[in-house]
Amino acid sequence: MPDANGLDARVERSLRGLARRIGRRTFLARLGALLVGGAAAPLLPVARAAGGSPRAPAPDEGIEGPEGDPTSCDYWRHCAIDGFACACCGGSASACPPGTEMSPVTWVGTCRNPNDGKDYIISYNDCCGKNFCGRCGCNRNEGDRPEYHWTRNNDINWCAGATTQVYNCSVAIVLGQATEAQPER
Amino acid sequence: MRRGARAVAFVAIALTPVGVPATPPAEDFVLYCSGCHGPDGAGTPGVVPPLSGLAALLETKAGREYLVRVPGVAQASLDDARLAALLNWVLAEYSGRTPSPPYAGAEVGALRRRPLRDPARARNAALRRVD
Repeated sequence: MPDANGLDARVERSLRGLARRIGRRTFLARLGALLVGGAAAPLLPVARAAGGSPRAPAPDEGIEGPEGDPTSCDYWRHCAIDGFACACCGGSASACPPGTEMSPVTWVGTCRNPNDGKDYIISYNDCCGKNFCGRCGCNRNEGDRPEYHWTRNNDINWCAGATTQVYNCSVAIVLGQATEAQPER
Repeated sequence: MRRGARAVAFVAIALTPVGVPATPPAEDFVLYCSGCHGPDGAGTPGVVPPLSGLAALLETKAGREYLVRVPGVAQASLDDARLAALLNWVLAEYSGRTPSPPYAGAEVGALRRRPLRDPARARNAALRRVD
């Protein structure tokens, strides 16, 4: 720890030097600009993207019949999930937990709903910005392809496209009904 | 098979569309493109380009070829006819321009077998020729 008197002296020298270089009006003008600019920052597109995930795909959740348990690895939408189910992490099967950002890039496949026997298009978006959730870890690989087919690979950290690359959990959003099972099985 | 039934079967087969994909291009877009380009084709600034700028690439032969040879298109696990239909749909939907002539399976098949070694450079070169 530095000597307290020495630290005081350094801070005093620094502040006196600042006072000599910058007038009070300049200081107040810069402080005002900082406050106003800071308040306006959330209006910038980048800040909005980080906070609200506006590019998240619109879910199409109108599925009839029993939905199942989204906290279970056996949940039908989790047929190709590799990570932690967001329903166990403060989010849901289609929504990220508060304080995380949905990755704008992801991979899309299909899962068969055993309740109606139909295939549905699933978007596996990663939620990013908080450390590993650590609950409801699940690794199912129906239709998963090796890394050289990276658009069909669930080992990739899709948070690579987000503003922070820290992975928290994954959602499985239903985008609609599929004409055929994808990837080809 | 009776002659009448055989005739009916023949007509049914003759009327079956050949080469028309069973899966609508809009659905193939969701499955093969939207994961990166987004459900609205807007992309992600600095990460994935938006699809709205594709029309400029149709201005030149190099640009038209680039749109098929770019890895995300060329390596899509779709057959040539279905990929051509998807390309035509994406261009009309997101760049407001239908290719003329529309991409056909044979053209797509020939182009995707010539992979781009440097996609970014090829794209820039194709766009510079437009200016």
